[in-house]
Amino acid sequence: MSTTLTNIHSRTTLPASLIVAATEIGGAILLGAFLLAESTPLVVALLAVMGALFAAMQYRPQIEEVIVAAFHDARGLATALAVAIVLIYPFFLGGNTYALHLLIVSLLYSVLALALNFQLGSANIPNFATGATYGIGAYTSALLAIHLGWSFWATLPAAAIVATVFGFLLGIPSMRTRDSYLALVTIAFGIVIHQMLNNLSWTGGPNGLVGIPAPSLLGHSFMRPIELFGFRLPSQANFYYLSAALLGLAILSAKRLHESRVGLAWNAIRADELAAKCQGINVVWYKILAFGVDAFLAAFAGTIYAFYISYISPDNFTFLVSVTIMTMVIVGGMDNTLGVILGAFLLTMLPEKLRVFSDYRLLFVSVVVILFLILRPKGLFPQRQRHYGGQR
Amino acid sequence: MTTPLLKLSGLGIRFGGLVALDAVDLTVAPSTITCIIGPNGAGKSTLFNLITGIYRPTSGTVALQGDPITGLPAHRIAARGIARTFQSSRLFEDLSILDNVIIGMHGRTRTDVLTALLRPAKSRRELEACAAEAETILRGISDELFARRYQPAGILPQADRRRLEIARALASHPKLILLDEPSSGMDDRDTAALMADIRRVMADNPGLSFLIIEHDMRLVAELPDNVVVIDYGKKIAEGDFATVRQLPRVQQAYLGQKAVEHA
Ligand SMILES: Nc1ncnc2c1ncn2[C@@H]1O[C@H](COP(=O)(O)OP(=O)(O)OP(=O)(O)O)[C@@H](O)[C@H]1O
Ligand SMILES: [Mg+2]
Repeated sequence: MSTTLTNIHSRTTLPASLIVAATEIGGAILLGAFLLAESTPLVVALLAVMGALFAAMQYRPQIEEVIVAAFHDARGLATALAVAIVLIYPFFLGGNTYALHLLIVSLLYSVLALALNFQLGSANIPNFATGATYGIGAYTSALLAIHLGWSFWATLPAAAIVATVFGFLLGIPSMRTRDSYLALVTIAFGIVIHQMLNNLSWTGGPNGLVGIPAPSLLGHSFMRPIELFGFRLPSQANFYYLSAALLGLAILSAKRLHESRVGLAWNAIRADELAAKCQGINVVWYKILAFGVDAFLAAFAGTIYAFYISYISPDNFTFLVSVTIMTMVIVGGMDNTLGVILGAFLLTMLPEKLRVFSDYRLLFVSVVVILFLILRPKGLFPQRQRHYGGQR
Repeated sequence: MTTPLLKLSGLGIRFGGLVALDAVDLTVAPSTITCIIGPNGAGKSTLFNLITGIYRPTSGTVALQGDPITGLPAHRIAARGIARTFQSSRLFEDLSILDNVIIGMHGRTRTDVLTALLRPAKSRRELEACAAEAETILRGISDELFARRYQPAGILPQADRRRLEIARALASHPKLILLDEPSSGMDDRDTAALMADIRRVMADNPGLSFLIIEHDMRLVAELPDNVVVIDYGKKIAEGDFATVRQLPRVQQAYLGQKAVEHA
């Protein structure tokens, strides 16, 4: 397997490290151009470039294989370079706080989409309540911070634990219901949570919670700009690094679970529940577990969001949010971490970049989504087979 | 006398008004092959579903090595050492052939979420060991399957699908393997290879027994130590093939009226 792939790319005579560097830097530049693009024609042109790249990959699958092989051969470099790019990225945005804001939201949605991917992608559990667990995380940490004066760092695990409990509770109906019925249960759960947030007095009702204090780390308040080597990054950069760290954690978790007995069990359930049972897999437990893991990660994202915006209301956590997260997973590629993240970035930034279409904005977003799905029916980056023993 | 590997006593199930299986007694000794024959709709697959916990029996008990396992959930029964294949094969279609076999080892591996997240080296080591063993199992069953191990199971032709299901069943190191019509979709050569495989696996795994539902009389004549005939949900005969085939009720019920006239 790996020898045939080396043959393919020895034909192109590019060393793995060069392919990795070119892909990552190219991707970063494309993202930057998209973030900073002001004019609609430029946005459309960039989307066309992206479409062309995916069209090329669709018709020449070897391209994807070569790149994947290169990333496998030079994984040390790939990780180091990716971390370096993430670290220096804000310096290239020229103090553009709006671009930084978009990046933060994209990063948080990437975490949410990865959280849902444990269910939808790995185990084919249609959970329409990720927005609700995201909200539970946000509200828990905001309430703890406002009323009990907890620090951000203390609310993070607390919110995750509370949301996970809710996640497990939501998972319990999955013992008895499946597929569309389970989807209905999760929709109902999301609506109940939304209604409760809207109507309870201690959650602030429709007005939500205001005045969530900014976190600080080692005496550095996240409200303050970062000053480093004579450079000055706007205060959003604090949350950018925080969200990037969370996404890093989510990617690591996704990778570790995917490459373990747990990920295999989820995949088995996705493919054939009955056959999975007969291999000794406790299907009920693994489904509930997927709900728990989803809620745990979503709560982290919710906490960071609450402290970043410093104001949350029920409208941040509607059914529509859950549907958007689901679309991110499907468009990006079920059970493919990179695909899911790309889907999250695309669907977070598109509506913002197509603002000129005002009322028709969502229509255009949908058209782009449909076009991408026609181009790549299994998502931008579809699921890949596992390989063992150092093979790719 | 040693305890039987599997003991069914008065096992039965009703679906509404239909008595699909009625008071079946059956004993399977270690290191034996038992074939179950019977006409379509007799209740053979239903019997497998009762043994493996897919259905809960409405009467009777199932015991594995003397321990009652009646009504346990399917995954616990699998973990106790009963593996099976399905009449219309049920593979994990979008997963690789290798992953299909590795998933068969779920019941005897231990990594949980926390281990996977916090001790990735341990988790990886476990999975790598599974992968190595799965490769050995695949190579033993068919070089072709081994060569294609990274391809999705869904693209396999019928005979290979059956082989892969058997490989997956073997992966759990079971005490008892239930095969539901393993030779269907196989030609004579494949069937001969299947029988050789079963014999080899038996030789490699002392104590392992097979319970096989079969329609292919060549296999039923050659392979089993014991043949059980089921008709209309009842066990109507049991013994070695030569004896069983002589029974008029069997000829009538299973081999058909013609066979009776010929006899
Ligand atoms: N879940 C179920 N609900 C209702 N009836 C069922 C169910 N499962 C099986 N049956 C019925 O039980 C009877 C036995 O079916 P079973 O599948 O066990 O037959 P079989 O001996 O395996 O036949 P074949 O040789 O065709 O595979 C059939 O009449 C079938 O319709
Ligand atoms: Mg049957």
